Amino acid sequence: MKKRFLSLLLAGAALTMTLTGCGGAGKDNGGAASGSGAGASGAASSGASADSDVAYVKDKGTLIVGITDFNPMDYQESGSDEWIGFDADMAKEFAKTLGVEAEFIEINWDNKIMELETKAIDAVWNGMTLTDEVKNSMNCSMPYCRNAQVVVVPKDKADQYKDADSLKDLSFAVESGSAGEKAAQAMNFNATSVQTQAAAVMEVSSGASDACVIDLLMAGAMVGEGTSYPDLTYTVNLNEANNEESEEYGVGFRKDSDLTDAFNSFYKDAFAAGKVTEIATTYGVQESLIDPQ
Amino acid sequence: MLGSVTISLLGGFATTIKLFLLTLLFALPLGLLISFGTMNRFALLRGLVKTIVWAIRGTPLMLQIIAIYYGPGILWGGSLLPRFTAALVAFSINYACYFSEIFRGGIQSIPRGQYEAGLVLGMTRPQIFFRVTLLQVIKRVIPPMGNEFITLVKDTALARTIAVYEVLWMGEKYIKSAGLIWPLFYTAVFYLAFNGILTLLFGWFEKKMDYFRV
Amino acid sequence: MPVLEVNHINKSFGGTQVLKDISFSLERGQALAIIGSSGSGKTTLLRCLNFLETPDGGTISVNDEQIFDAANHAAVSDAEIRKKRLHFGMVFQSFNLFPQYTALENVMLANLLLAKKQPDFKKNKRAVLEKIEHQAMDLLEQMSLEGRMSHYPHQLSGGQQQRVAIARALALHPDILCFDEPTSALDPELTGEVLKVIRTLAEKHTTMVIVTHEMAFARDVADRIIFMDDGVIVEQGTPAEIFEHTQNDRTRAFLHRFSQNA
Repeated sequence: MKKRFLSLLLAGAALTMTLTGCGGAGKDNGGAASGSGAGASGAASSGASADSDVAYVKDKGTLIVGITDFNPMDYQESGSDEWIGFDADMAKEFAKTLGVEAEFIEINWDNKIMELETKAIDAVWNGMTLTDEVKNSMNCSMPYCRNAQVVVVPKDKADQYKDADSLKDLSFAVESGSAGEKAAQAMNFNATSVQTQAAAVMEVSSGASDACVIDLLMAGAMVGEGTSYPDLTYTVNLNEANNEESEEYGVGFRKDSDLTDAFNSFYKDAFAAGKVTEIATTYGVQESLIDPQ
Repeated sequence: MLGSVTISLLGGFATTIKLFLLTLLFALPLGLLISFGTMNRFALLRGLVKTIVWAIRGTPLMLQIIAIYYGPGILWGGSLLPRFTAALVAFSINYACYFSEIFRGGIQSIPRGQYEAGLVLGMTRPQIFFRVTLLQVIKRVIPPMGNEFITLVKDTALARTIAVYEVLWMGEKYIKSAGLIWPLFYTAVFYLAFNGILTLLFGWFEKKMDYFRV
Repeated sequence: MPVLEVNHINKSFGGTQVLKDISFSLERGQALAIIGSSGSGKTTLLRCLNFLETPDGGTISVNDEQIFDAANHAAVSDAEIRKKRLHFGMVFQSFNLFPQYTALENVMLANLLLAKKQPDFKKNKRAVLEKIEHQAMDLLEQMSLEGRMSHYPHQLSGGQQQRVAIARALALHPDILCFDEPTSALDPELTGEVLKVIRTLAEKHTTMVIVTHEMAFARDVADRIIFMDDGVIVEQGTPAEIFEHTQNDRTRAFLHRFSQNA
C-alpha cells in the first residue's frame, strides 16, 4: 500500500518536472510516442508496431480521433450519438482507407498534446489552426482549410465597424491561447481572454464585451440568420487588416508519426476524386478548402 | 429544450454521483489507514506517511488528476488507466489524505482513559478500537466530514480536466455546441439538490448519534 | 499465603524516579489503603499492578505465580499480558465508562468479548449470553442500580457512574480489585454512596487495593495501610499502627496536615 503510494507520488513529481521542463516544445515527448521499442509491454500490442503509428492503428482496429463539439467540423445532431461534420466525415473516410474504424472522443482541448503523446487518442482533428505552437508539438498534416480571424459585433451596429480604425475603442473578448487572441494583440485591442470561442461570442451577445475575435469558419456557423445568434454578425477580417496570410487548418498526429504521410496521400487522392469537395459542400465549407496540388 | 438538456445533464450527474460514491468507498477506509500511519510509533513510517499527506494536500487536485491519467504514458509510454478510473484513483488518494487528518483529530480527542479502561478489561487493541473508540470518533468527525462530503460533490467537476463527462462538462458543452449558457448554470440545481440531501442525511445521522455524549 | 506479593519495584519517568524499591504483600480478603500526598507515586504503583505502566525493575506475584519480572518482560507477548492483567480489576478516578453503551452493556462488554473467543461459543450462544446478562444485572443490583441498567453514562450522576464502573470491574472476577482515588472526581455529597459500596465489598472480604485521600474511610475500612512519600513506602501497618501509633515523622506531618484541612 505505502509503496504504491510512494511510486504514485514520485510519478506525480516526475510528471511535474516533465511538464515544466519541456514547455511547449515537446522535444522529450517524442520518446513516449515512438521510443517504447524494446521494453514496451502495454502500450503497443506487438513489437513490430512500435515504430509505425499506421501499423499500431491498424493493429488495434480503431483510429481514435480527439475532438471537441465544434460545428460545422465535429458535432452531433440533437438526439443522435453519431459525430458528423466536415472533419468527422473526413476522419471516417481516412479511417476507411486504413481499414479501421474511426472513434471520436471529446477531449479537454487544453490537454490535446498530452492526449496524443500518451496514445489516449491518435489524431487531433477539430478545425485546428496550424500555429507554430501546434506545429512544434505535433506532426501536422498539409493544410486542408483556410481560415481567418473575424470581428463579431451586434448586427445593428455592424455599419459603424467596417474597418480596423473604427474598432480601436471597443472592448473585445477572445479565446485564451487562440489565433484570435494573437490577432487582437497585434491590433492593440483591449481584449479579455475567455475559455472558448463560444464564450467569447456569448460575451458579445450578453453585452459584456462590445465585440469578439473568432475563426471565420466558426463565425459562419455560429452567428447570423438561422444560427444560435441571429442578432450578431461578423465584419472586419483581421488577417487582411494585419496584412497577414490567412490561417490554415490541419490534422495533428504524434511526433514522428507516419500517419501524417498516410493522411497527406489520402487527402490528395480524395480531393482529386472530388470526395473532399462533396463532403465540404454538405457542411457549407467548400469555399475554404485548400487544393493540395 | 429544457427536457433534452435535463436528460443530458442527468446523464452527466450520474457520473458525478458515481465518482462521489466510489471515492467515499475507497477514501474512507484508506483515510483511516493513513491516520494510523501518521500516529505510528515508528518515526520513520510516521515521517513517510506525513510527507505523503503533505504532498497530496499541498498540491492541486487537478494536477494530481492529470498526473495519474497522463503520467504513465508520458513517463514510460505505459498504457493509460481508463479516464474514470484515473479520476477515481486521484480523488480517492486526495480525499483519503484529508480524511486521515480528520480521523487523526477525532482519535486523538478521545480521552486516554477510554483506552486504558479497555486494557484493564482484557480487551485487545483492535477490540478497543472497534468496540470503544471508533463510534466515539465517528460521532466527533460528523461535522467536519459533512463539510468534506459537500466539497467532494463539487470537486468532482475537476474530473472534466481529463474529459470525464460529468455534469459540469455536459453543461459547458452547450456553450460551444449550441451557444447556450443557461445549461451551465442549470447544473447548479443538481449540485444544490444533491447537497441538500446530503445535509439532511448528516443532520439525521448527527441526531441518531445523539443518544450518547463524548 | 499472600495473594499479592510486590518485590523491589522501581519506576522512572524520564530522569525522575517515581517508585523506589517498593515491596509489600497482601493477604486474601484484606483491603489495603495506600495514602500519601499528590506525587508520592501511589497512583503509579497501582498502574504498575495493572500493567498500565511497566516497572523498570522488580517482580510481582499473584497467588504464588510470578506474573511480572522486569528482567524478562520484553519477551512476554501481548496476549499473556492481557491474561495476567485479568488478575486485577481497576476502578479509575474518572470512571472511564464507555459512553455509547448502557450501564448494563458496560458491565457485560468484556465478558462478551471473552466468551466469543471460546471455541464452543456458537453452540451455546444463547445460554452464555443469558448467563453474562444475569451476572451483570446481579452486580448492578448489588450496586443499588436496578433502575438504571439501560441508562447511558451521561444520564447518570457521578456516583452512579462510579458504581457502574465498580460493577464492570467485578464482572471479570478479579483476584484483586484496585481503586485509583475513586471519589476524587465526585461532588462531596456523592462520595458517600461510592464509599458505602466499597465498604460493603470489604465486609464481604473482597481483596482490594485502594489509593485514596479519604483518611477517615481508610482508617475505617482498610485492614492495612501503606503511607508513601516521594516514591518510597515510608510506613506500613494496621490502621491503628499508622493512625494512633505513628512511627515516622513524615507520616505524622502528613496526617497532621490532613486533619487540619479536613
